[in-house]
Amino acid sequence: MRILKGYGKPKQKKAVAAPGQKLDAYENKPVSTRLDDTVDFIEMLFGGNSDLIIRHFRVFGEHPAVLAYFSNMADQITINVDILKPLMYKPSHLEGKPAEPPQLMEVLLNDALYNSEAVRETELAKLANGILRGGTVVAIEGSGEVLVIGTRKIEKRAIDQPATEQVIRGPREGLIEQLGTNIALIRYRLQSADLRIHSMEIGRRTNSKVAICFMEGITNPELVEEVKKRLSKIDIDAVMDSGYLEQFIEDNHISPFPQVQYTERPDKIVANLLEGRVAILVDGSPLALVVPTVFSQFYQTVEDYTERFLLMSAIRLARLIALVFSLVFPSIYVSIISFNPELIPTEFAVAVAGGRAGVPFPAVIEVLIIETSMEVLREATIRLPQQVGGALSIVGVLVVGQAAVAAGFASPITVVIIALTTIGSFATPAYNAALALRLLRFPLIVMAGVFGLYGVMIGLILIANHLLSLKSFGVPYLSPLVPGNFQGMKDLIVRGPLSWMTRRPSFLGPVDDRKLGEQTEKTLEGNLMDTAQENGKEG
Amino acid sequence: MFKTVSLALVLSMAVPLLTGCWDRLELEERAVVLGVSIDVAGEEAEAEESEVSHVEGSLPLPDHAMVRVGVQIALPGRIPLGPGESGGGKGDSSQTVWVIDVVGHSIDDAFMNLQQQVSSKLFFGHLRVIVISEALARRGMDNVNDYFRRNAEVRRMAWMIVSKGKALDLMKAAPKLERVPTLYLMSTLDEGVKLGKFPEDYIGIYWSHSSKKGQEGFLPYVQMKKEQNVEVSGLAYFRSDKMVGATQPIEIAGYLGLKGINPAGYRSFINVANNSFVSAATQRRSSIKLEIRNGVPHFRIEVALEVNIEEKIKQEAHITPEVIRLIQQKQEKNSTLFYENMLKKTQEKGSDIFGFGERVRAKKPGYWNSEIKTKEAWQRMYKDVTFDIVVAVNVRRIGAKAL
Amino acid sequence: MEEKRQITAIQTAAIIVSTIIGVGVLPLPLFAVRAGDSAAPLVTLLGMLLAICGLALIAWLGMRFPNQSIIQYSEAIIGKIPAWLGSLLIIVFFAVLTSLAAREFGEVVVTSVLKRTPVEVTVIVMLLLAAISTRKNITTFAYLHHFYFPLLLFPGILIVFLSLKNADVINLQPAFTTGSPGIWAGVLTIAALFQGSFILTMVIPAMRRPERAMIASMGGLALAGGLYVAIVAAAVSVFGAEEIKKLLWPTLELAKATSLPANVLERLDAAFLAVWVTAVFTTLLSSHFLTVRATAHLFRMDDHKLFSFFLLPVVFVMAMLPQNIVQMYDIIEIVGRFGLSITILYPGLLLLISIFRKKRGDVS
Repeated sequence: MRILKGYGKPKQKKAVAAPGQKLDAYENKPVSTRLDDTVDFIEMLFGGNSDLIIRHFRVFGEHPAVLAYFSNMADQITINVDILKPLMYKPSHLEGKPAEPPQLMEVLLNDALYNSEAVRETELAKLANGILRGGTVVAIEGSGEVLVIGTRKIEKRAIDQPATEQVIRGPREGLIEQLGTNIALIRYRLQSADLRIHSMEIGRRTNSKVAICFMEGITNPELVEEVKKRLSKIDIDAVMDSGYLEQFIEDNHISPFPQVQYTERPDKIVANLLEGRVAILVDGSPLALVVPTVFSQFYQTVEDYTERFLLMSAIRLARLIALVFSLVFPSIYVSIISFNPELIPTEFAVAVAGGRAGVPFPAVIEVLIIETSMEVLREATIRLPQQVGGALSIVGVLVVGQAAVAAGFASPITVVIIALTTIGSFATPAYNAALALRLLRFPLIVMAGVFGLYGVMIGLILIANHLLSLKSFGVPYLSPLVPGNFQGMKDLIVRGPLSWMTRRPSFLGPVDDRKLGEQTEKTLEGNLMDTAQENGKEG
Repeated sequence: MFKTVSLALVLSMAVPLLTGCWDRLELEERAVVLGVSIDVAGEEAEAEESEVSHVEGSLPLPDHAMVRVGVQIALPGRIPLGPGESGGGKGDSSQTVWVIDVVGHSIDDAFMNLQQQVSSKLFFGHLRVIVISEALARRGMDNVNDYFRRNAEVRRMAWMIVSKGKALDLMKAAPKLERVPTLYLMSTLDEGVKLGKFPEDYIGIYWSHSSKKGQEGFLPYVQMKKEQNVEVSGLAYFRSDKMVGATQPIEIAGYLGLKGINPAGYRSFINVANNSFVSAATQRRSSIKLEIRNGVPHFRIEVALEVNIEEKIKQEAHITPEVIRLIQQKQEKNSTLFYENMLKKTQEKGSDIFGFGERVRAKKPGYWNSEIKTKEAWQRMYKDVTFDIVVAVNVRRIGAKAL
Repeated sequence: MEEKRQITAIQTAAIIVSTIIGVGVLPLPLFAVRAGDSAAPLVTLLGMLLAICGLALIAWLGMRFPNQSIIQYSEAIIGKIPAWLGSLLIIVFFAVLTSLAAREFGEVVVTSVLKRTPVEVTVIVMLLLAAISTRKNITTFAYLHHFYFPLLLFPGILIVFLSLKNADVINLQPAFTTGSPGIWAGVLTIAALFQGSFILTMVIPAMRRPERAMIASMGGLALAGGLYVAIVAAAVSVFGAEEIKKLLWPTLELAKATSLPANVLERLDAAFLAVWVTAVFTTLLSSHFLTVRATAHLFRMDDHKLFSFFLLPVVFVMAMLPQNIVQMYDIIEIVGRFGLSITILYPGLLLLISIFRKKRGDVS
């Protein structure tokens, strides 16, 4: 408390440089040679915490020493067997060797300890950080050094199916919260010397570890620099999830469209790395960020590439239609009903008029009310426990919808339209992109209510113009459609066969742009030729 | 900062624009006009009219007599949504639409009078059929054409038809086949086109034809029968904007044949070998060749018909190649005569519904520019035009019976 | 801020196409038929050829001065004061062109779809839409055109194809008229519809390879012109010349007369008009962008954003000046023909003098 008070004021004055933390007072201060001082320091810093363990013992039965760690973060067995035991019990090969405090540390590290993650530290701040990360600190009377030994063991959940990006065909592993495990998942899929993982710490108080992954020799170096630059500019006290970072590094903060893709699939990260993108992982978050992102990524799934191209092209097309539906369907309905009823067949128009005859509101208001209640319903379904959620959605959709029609509150066709729209918005694989379209639907409905089809077009033009001027890390958002790139178009609306996609996306500016080996490309072409003309010439 | 301010300015400029919903008019708030009938109104009509568009006697009224306009308005709610749940039969068509009629000095005047009586705004976007009484058509269609052409709501794919007798009766008719009477009228004609009984003649096509210098417009000529059903009983042909005559129903086939319009759908009796056969045409082809003879256009029209034998009245006389040859010859002769008569009829009235004049304009522009040039000149010239008609008939099939 | 030279030849062609295709398509068959009756497609073709000549001059000039716009290099060619006058004329002309296009489309919308909405509102909505988008840099400007370009071609081609069903070749004959006097006036009117292609002079300095400006602009103009000829031919073959003379917007009427197979949409006019909003938008975007950027260049400013809203009220007021639709079309014809002297004669003059005085821009 005392220290906090002392640093309270300067913190306010120079907000960037001085985070008000206890530890900062000890920046660059050396570890004292007296054991009591070190123990005092540790107790002062962490003394109030019940999970701190300070264990006094004697190294080789002669030098007084102390061992400190947080009991719940460290692996007790390792501490007992691999640290305490070899330190207390002098091994036979050390008999007769000098083991006085000045050299003792080196001897311990080199000859006694059974732990690979041990380092010698001389600074108090490093000592404290070691304990905070779950390490074990060993301090010995008379030595100006301490040993910081990595004994971190945090309970982690098992590697599970990715909840938000499930596939029928493809790997079943998803990222978990632990950064180390996540990096392992990536590394084992990408056993390449070119994979680079840079790490940095972000978060004044959380000191969260952030890893930047990219492929050297593929990823554009300028891009990597840009990512590092943007990340290093972030000064925030806590990074709870990769979503925090996303909001700091994106190009346009006001846009409803996500300019950074997130994923919990290691295979997707690897595929993106190989295309020349950069992945950002944060310790504690099961979602990795992938930059730069273009719009087409939001309706593509991993599965597109694992199944046969013809089928997946058709499915991707369906997804695109759903995407467009979820954006414009209600507004087109409103403008046809309220402005241009001559567009629909006469029989249908007369029937629709009949359906709407008892409804007291204009179509715009009706659609807005039903849309809003749909959003409420959707939000409620997410919040509720799973067991109740299912029941609620049935009640909401069937009972309320039916009742609204019966009560003359909404026309049956409106309910159909809204239902289709809602289902359409679920077909978009990326939740954040679907959210953007869900949101933009409302202004479009309002525009439709004012100007009819004309208004819808104005709204769509505004959205398209916004998309066209948007950039993600310098890459135009609608690439490869605009600016046009023929190679990229093969994977835009349809998913071309893998043999067509011989190059990495050029808009990412990869160093090495060849995906498919020349030999394979030739063979595949040859195969096509062969099938075309039965028995072609050899070679 | 400047950016936010300017953005706010733009938005505040945009807000007042968004506050008006000038044109929003819900579908159920519109009086959806499905059909319109236009009759000549009698002497007594003026008394019936209230002073809606003008104070009585205050303006130099159009010199022609008044019109009686009837409309068929769809009643929302009466026509069930979807494929009729509780037995679509109960909806008597007199209950699904509302027929009102008013009088006026012009078409627009009449609609103004009508609007005064109907609460919802009249909406012509779904106007499918316009029925004109023969009397009005003979008096002149300029006013009608102008009004509907100027109104952007009216579709060019609507039908305009001329009725024998009062047009309003057709609006009031309630045929049993469709829920909405007008749609029945429309489908009668649409199906006629598909069956090869009638040429495509939407209002837009009629307008185009009557605009052309070397062609006259024509409209379907219909007649109400006793079961409130409608018979297409010929072509009402025009000279400029005035109807000058109507053909017999069979003569529609003449028009279709001369123009070579497919599919073919008419039958004809052929008496050969002491027997009567009915042949059904399936395909028509025609080619028209133009030359100038003695300063007058001369047309050589070759019509080729493909027919199937559909019926034989008596059992004897098997269908042999010889009989088929006879049938072909006989029908060729009959048809030639038939076509010639038909052409003569239109020539008498100076109504070139076939567009022979357009052919002259297109193929012999020099002759056209020096001799004809105007629509009126062609109408006079058309009477003197000469024709050569050659018909070739081919019997292709005789049905499932071997003899 | 120096913008990078990023615009490709295809994007240049797209800019030309989507700039040209605009509200002018709606009355186009009427103009053509008035001039040449059944030879309307020929008239359109001649108009297009004239426009091609004009555009070729601009492209040639642009390739001689690949780093400058016409505002900048005209000073080098004919001296400051005359160039300043010429540039001012260009700016005023394109401001007028913007206002007339906005007004024309406003009139179309008010006549056929939004009958009770004040024309001021539809005009200002379109102008605002264009003005907001002109604040972007020229690369984004190229992206916009590139994106909308297929969306414009598609409905145009669709209408042409769907109307083939009702077409009658007789209406197109005789394809060559016997030289009526009105034909040349019609050619000029139609050539004036291509004037938006003048935007090329602003695009060349941002092209990655300015030497490809000629081929790109010719390709773009040929595509747009081809669509124009096709639309005129379709309209004439469906309606006949005489009927078109009675229609204010024959292209829209063509959309009204066609329905999608299986009656998905019963009539296409409202839908066509809705899609046509994009076409009008790109045209307005280009002409306003040209005005704004030319003004910026004239005052030697690098940033044109300032003017995009500053000029808007002027354009809006000009758009409101014509008293009625008949007068508006008279003004459009007069302004269009007068504009040809700015968009064809003036660049031609500049080119001649620059060849004569052996002036050239530095090649980067």
